[in-house]
Amino acid sequence: MQFIENLRLALTSIAANKMRSVLTMLGIIIGISAVIMITTIGTSIQKTLVNTFNSIGNMNYFDVYAQVSYGLLDENGDEIIADYTDEDLLTRQMLDKLVDTYPDYFYLNLSDSFGGFELKNWKDQTFKASVIGRMSFEGDNDIKFIRGRRINKTDSDLKKQVVNVSTLFVKQYLPPDADPIGQTITTELGDFVIVGVFELPAIYTKQIYKPGQKDIEKVTPVYIPYDTGMKLTYQESSYDYYASIYYYPEYDVEMLENTLRDFFAEEYAEKPYMHVEIENMQTYLGMINTVINVVTIAISIIAAISLIVGGVGVMNIMLVSITERTKEIGVRKALGAQNSAIRMQFVVEAILLCLIGGIIGIILGIVGGMALGFIAKQLVMNFYAEYAELFTITIQPSIPAILISVGFSILTGVFFGYYPANKAAKMNPIDALRYD
Amino acid sequence: MNKTVIEMRNIIKRYYIGQPNELQILNGISLDIHEHEFVSIVGQSGSGKSTLMNMIGALDRPTEGTYLLNGMDISTLDDYELSHIRNQEIGFVFQTFNLISRTNALKNVEMPMMYAGIPRKKRLARAMELLEIVGMADRADHQPNELSGGQKQRVAIARAMANKPSILLADEPTGALDSKTGRMIMDLFHKLHDEEGTTIVLITHSNELAAETERIITISDGNVISDTGVKA
Repeated sequence: MQFIENLRLALTSIAANKMRSVLTMLGIIIGISAVIMITTIGTSIQKTLVNTFNSIGNMNYFDVYAQVSYGLLDENGDEIIADYTDEDLLTRQMLDKLVDTYPDYFYLNLSDSFGGFELKNWKDQTFKASVIGRMSFEGDNDIKFIRGRRINKTDSDLKKQVVNVSTLFVKQYLPPDADPIGQTITTELGDFVIVGVFELPAIYTKQIYKPGQKDIEKVTPVYIPYDTGMKLTYQESSYDYYASIYYYPEYDVEMLENTLRDFFAEEYAEKPYMHVEIENMQTYLGMINTVINVVTIAISIIAAISLIVGGVGVMNIMLVSITERTKEIGVRKALGAQNSAIRMQFVVEAILLCLIGGIIGIILGIVGGMALGFIAKQLVMNFYAEYAELFTITIQPSIPAILISVGFSILTGVFFGYYPANKAAKMNPIDALRYD
Repeated sequence: MNKTVIEMRNIIKRYYIGQPNELQILNGISLDIHEHEFVSIVGQSGSGKSTLMNMIGALDRPTEGTYLLNGMDISTLDDYELSHIRNQEIGFVFQTFNLISRTNALKNVEMPMMYAGIPRKKRLARAMELLEIVGMADRADHQPNELSGGQKQRVAIARAMANKPSILLADEPTGALDSKTGRMIMDLFHKLHDEEGTTIVLITHSNELAAETERIITISDGNVISDTGVKA
């Protein structure tokens, strides 16, 4: 009950000195709004990154790079001579062994380009296609099939000569109204049977093809099973410095990475000058998030310093207010106000001052942060208009930051209000009554 | 004989104890004030009457001697208990009214009851009743700066009466008023004394005002030099 009274008293007192109250709050307003603005931008960048990455497709793979170490010493202190050959790089056998050893953890989703080929159509016109080998379309959300089926791992394992082509390819290759499924295309690599037709992703029409370019001049991708391509190009026992290894996301990424590391360490046990470096998009994303978090928190802390300045301002004005109201305090005490009641009155006033400042700061911060976010969004969209579809820009204030700010405002009020309030509470009523 | 409200024995008040400028203001005052009395304490400035008033009003504790207020020994109470005594037993009326600014007359009268923890509805009813008694009911929602001196003092008297105190302690209540309004305030005190049976202690330097009361206690140099005694 007395709390409500105190709240009313505090409001009256703040309203009685509007200008002074606003100036007092300024420090809090600036501090809180800066923190909210920064965290809004930080949160928006994070959300944008996550959403953009998610829209790109399956990120659950490791990049494995075979590396040669130079200048290593053996146990006798002699330099290990790194006379490596291509055969020391990552081999397909190694990758197959990995997948066979850990079928629950890893799978291969290899892909490669087998170059461009010229083809002849029903009207004997020449057009070009680029041949890409892949094991599946997993995670490739951009490609939509409208006829037939996708090539898959089984096609690759059995080295079937099947192909997926685009609607544009169908237009280029076959007479109108012809059924593409089951048709054969002849390339320098061999003959392939069309088993599925997909729609070209927008990026081709928007960026790769020039405006006004004739359909017959456009190069479309055609997809064949990866291992079919490897066989037809005699690369079955090839070596590579790089491989991407997919994993099932239900497992802990760090554990999987360690498993991979151990596996390759074992594989290269005989070749101490070889090692692998493993990278992972989720880890990158995590690292980027950590960096953004650290930067956001660091800048927020710097901004929060102005809260201390604001708090000192509140303390200062409370001390002034208490001196001005010494007589009132004396009267209240003479009327029977307990020390605790006087203390509460002024602490509530300080809290209210900070809380109002905090709320104004939060509103300004949200408005400012969102405005900056939208300006940034417009700039990005204008500068990179051609990639606009790739971005999923999300602008969103940080809810935890808002809650923390409210709490922090109250805390500032209590912290910087307590000393003046206690001073008021401890006043000697006789001296206070006599004060002019 | 009515019940004794104030019983003071050999009250001594010293300031700056143990320092070279040690000062003794009250030199062993003893006095009794009874229920329903209208007493004036008179003295020149510097006589110690303000110190005595602070003592009676439980704003201060004596250095030596005993002060029993309704049988309670004030000199042994802590700050919290003293504030309770001031709230329940004493009604202060000040020379400069001391209404809380930016707070209307009604709220000012409510204030002692708020500190007593009386519920809002009850407070409001009692405050209105008191404003009625002092003839200020029609000004209940006025701010202090919208009231004249006499009106302020009447609100202040209503406030002093809020918790039905044992004593109304008035310190030069007409000192800041012109003679006409001063007269009205004195009439109000007489009315409260006659009709409500309020015990009133009036601190004044004016012999004229003191003459209106039932009993005059004169203070000089920290001693009671005369006391007209309890009216029979």
